[in-house]
Amino acid sequence: MTTFANEPLLELRREAVRNQALDALQALDAKLPLDVPMLIGEDVVTGRRLASVDPSAPARVVAYAHEATEQHAHQAIASAERGHRAWSRKPAADRAAALQRAADILRTRRLELAALAVREAGKPWAEADADVCEAIDFLVYYAQGAQQLDAGRSLLQLPGERNAMRYVGRGVTAVIAPWNFPLAIAAGMVSAALAAGNAVVLKPAEQTPACAKAVIDALHAGGVPLDALHLLPGGDEAGKALVADPRVHTIAFTGSCAVGLQILERAAKVVPGQHHLKRVIAEMGGKNCVIVDSDADLDDVVPGLLKSAFAFAGQKCSAASRALVHAAVADELAERLAGAVGTLRVGPAAEFATDVPPVIDVAAQQRIERYIASATPLAQGERRDDGFYVPPTIFAGLPADSPVVTEEIFGPVLSLETVASIEEACEAVDRSPFALTGGLFSRSPRTIEYVSEHTPVGNLYVNREITGAMVGRQPFGGGKLSGTGPKAGGPDYLLQFVEARAVTENTVRHGLVV
Amino acid sequence: MAAAPTPDLEPVEPVDLDAPIRAIGTDLAARMPRPRAVSTARVERRMQELLISDPGLRAALFRFVDVRPACATPADVTRHLDELLEQAQDSKHARRATGITGRRFATRPVAALAATGVKQMAQRFIVGEDATDALPAITALWKRGVDATVDLLGEATVTEAEADRYAARCEDTLRALAQAAHHHPGRDVNLSVKVSALTPLLRRPEAPERGIEGAAPRLRHLLRVARDVGAHLHVDMESFDTREAITTLTLDLLAEPEFATGPSAGIVLQAYLTESDEHLQTLLDWAREHPRTHPFTIRLVKGAYWDHEVVQAAQNGWAAPVFTDRRECDRNFERLTKRLIDHAGPIKVAIASHNLRSIAHAAAYADARGVGNDDLEFQILRGLGDDTQAAIAATGRRVRCYCPVGDLVAGMAYLVRRLLENTANDSFLAAHAGGADTAELLEAP
Repeated sequence: MTTFANEPLLELRREAVRNQALDALQALDAKLPLDVPMLIGEDVVTGRRLASVDPSAPARVVAYAHEATEQHAHQAIASAERGHRAWSRKPAADRAAALQRAADILRTRRLELAALAVREAGKPWAEADADVCEAIDFLVYYAQGAQQLDAGRSLLQLPGERNAMRYVGRGVTAVIAPWNFPLAIAAGMVSAALAAGNAVVLKPAEQTPACAKAVIDALHAGGVPLDALHLLPGGDEAGKALVADPRVHTIAFTGSCAVGLQILERAAKVVPGQHHLKRVIAEMGGKNCVIVDSDADLDDVVPGLLKSAFAFAGQKCSAASRALVHAAVADELAERLAGAVGTLRVGPAAEFATDVPPVIDVAAQQRIERYIASATPLAQGERRDDGFYVPPTIFAGLPADSPVVTEEIFGPVLSLETVASIEEACEAVDRSPFALTGGLFSRSPRTIEYVSEHTPVGNLYVNREITGAMVGRQPFGGGKLSGTGPKAGGPDYLLQFVEARAVTENTVRHGLVV
Repeated sequence: MAAAPTPDLEPVEPVDLDAPIRAIGTDLAARMPRPRAVSTARVERRMQELLISDPGLRAALFRFVDVRPACATPADVTRHLDELLEQAQDSKHARRATGITGRRFATRPVAALAATGVKQMAQRFIVGEDATDALPAITALWKRGVDATVDLLGEATVTEAEADRYAARCEDTLRALAQAAHHHPGRDVNLSVKVSALTPLLRRPEAPERGIEGAAPRLRHLLRVARDVGAHLHVDMESFDTREAITTLTLDLLAEPEFATGPSAGIVLQAYLTESDEHLQTLLDWAREHPRTHPFTIRLVKGAYWDHEVVQAAQNGWAAPVFTDRRECDRNFERLTKRLIDHAGPIKVAIASHNLRSIAHAAAYADARGVGNDDLEFQILRGLGDDTQAAIAATGRRVRCYCPVGDLVAGMAYLVRRLLENTANDSFLAAHAGGADTAELLEAP
């Protein structure tokens, strides 16, 4: 089996590559708005239309999705139950081959898909391209991993018995995907479930249905049967119906903490006729801290924090929200960061010059603006009103109970706090209910070791930005209220989507081992 | 910039360079001091050998040199040194050293020693904290018939205020050097500038226009100052991410009519880039279309960001923009040397290398083509090629010393880079220090 390698990113530092990207955007624009029907088995189903718009220019409709109702969810699950039988019996290698072919299809469409993420999610080019690459990575990584898993695990063997353990798919998997990685996370959760032998019903975020459809189309074209993979665009209704349905075995969710907790609660309830326990794989929020030690190189800290806090307008679960800065360097760092925020360009996702794009929708914009209005900023970037823009904002020295310090904002907001020691910083991190990502800037080996041992976060990044986890290199996911910790893009992820079965055969006949 | 590349000048007769390269190289080598002649040099060489042969210790010391300026107290200095040596567990030298740094009573002496060591090292590479402080070292070079170019070290520019401060330091330096140069007829004033320090906006490789817009007003001002005081302004090249922006900015500004008659100015060509042939073509085409009173200077270097380029490319899944084979890079350096010397006159050529073979090759080819000191100079880094620089000067060829100026904190990144270069396994200087004989060093790459 070939070893895994990440899909190469676009080399956007070259003008020729940038021009190709812009050509792809122009070609996409000519096709807008796209149509995103429900895909339920053989049926292409229409319903009430729901527009997804370009956050950089809300007048531009990117797609009309056909909203799935509870009824559609039931139909999709019924189809998935039928599809599961055949799909789960297919050899793992055949399922993997379908995923690999889907990855190839995404590769041939990568500029078009990046352009779609630019338009539909307001993702700047580099981020949009990384989203496409990560989607490809997930398909390939899980395809390879599922084949390895199919070989089972070796067990202790004694004379007279033969022991084997193998993994099988669990059943119908409901995937509820977010808009912030509209291609990658949908592709990751769906492909892991499929590779492991489960049929899938995907409910994408209502803001990014066209991105989800592009992933589903590639998987169908790659050979995943129509009744093994279903698409239910729309709002909450279909998602709630999927979570509650007794025929669903596994729920893979990425999104907010509040919704994640509701799903966990709802899924725990066994309803009449349900003969299994549902498993929930939840990736929820974060309130991610970056610790800056007194010996940190501020030349690295400033760009590292800018990127972690403000890239894609802070709309990543991994984004930096708080910086806990040693008192010895706090003033200097605050001054340099304040100056640096003023150099960030707020603008449309499609412009290469943009540092901070708009946020996803007007609701997000208003919510983030309320946080910003709750205190006096240390520094703030540009304001714009021709899209869902929020100015990148830095606060300093807020009280510990300020909502800016305690709540997940999911926007371009960074709070600076001064700490007297690394120990104090670690205690502050520990008090947070979240434990997703964290950062440390230090040049002391012992400090790095201390923080590694004392921080509960799922992903700690030392002396670099805290976003941009790569499949196979930085398995992603956290503990505490940040999620169930399945580590997407890591070697253990597929285990969430299977059940293990052990078979022991007695090989003694007539007193002889045969 | 020209769209279609124009052919080179008239075809050049192939010349046999082997004999003159050997002659020039042997002559230069003979003029360098023997290792045994100077005792401090011997200690240094042993240190260098040690670092080359002990990668764990090398890593620990580099990390220490890097963090030293951020250590506020003697205890802090000792703690970092101790931790870093402890980390280098595979190195027996480091283990022995922790026996000393780990003792409690040792804090002050170790800190003092370590601090002094770093400071001394820094002073070998850095001529002063600011222009005034650096003047004695620079005038000393001038007196020995060596030219200088000053490079102002500083922290990374992340704000507009920092960019303004860097530009102001550049202006002050130009004026201070020009004042001092009055007393040294025949010597020029020459400042190397970093575009990444002139704007915080060069950080975006996918949007070169932002770095260009950000740096243009400050660079334009410095060009005017340089013109007014009769100085040369040289735009340094940096990582490949910024190459497009730096090149476009420099060529566009110099094409503005007010700069046609001055100042003298130049740019850098990095031989380790696989596309450097095309880069040179662009520069030559531009120079042909934009005749200048002072010929456009092109400084040929190997390139100082090799590790960065290779690591970045590997992490992003790109083909590295640099030659990964050292000999291939050396051969490219010689090819570019020839092309540059073939165009000497309309352009001025600067060969910046410590590699005896590369220097001897450039000198031999220039001699064969009748290109002399008016159109060709050699450049050497302060502290790394002092012996080579003296030897070149002694043979009557024009040589310029690249002189970093700045405080210890600012100088660390520079210092670490130079140290890494100097003790890398495949480094020319390491080979030289290791006692490779002259004939071996002069072999064709």
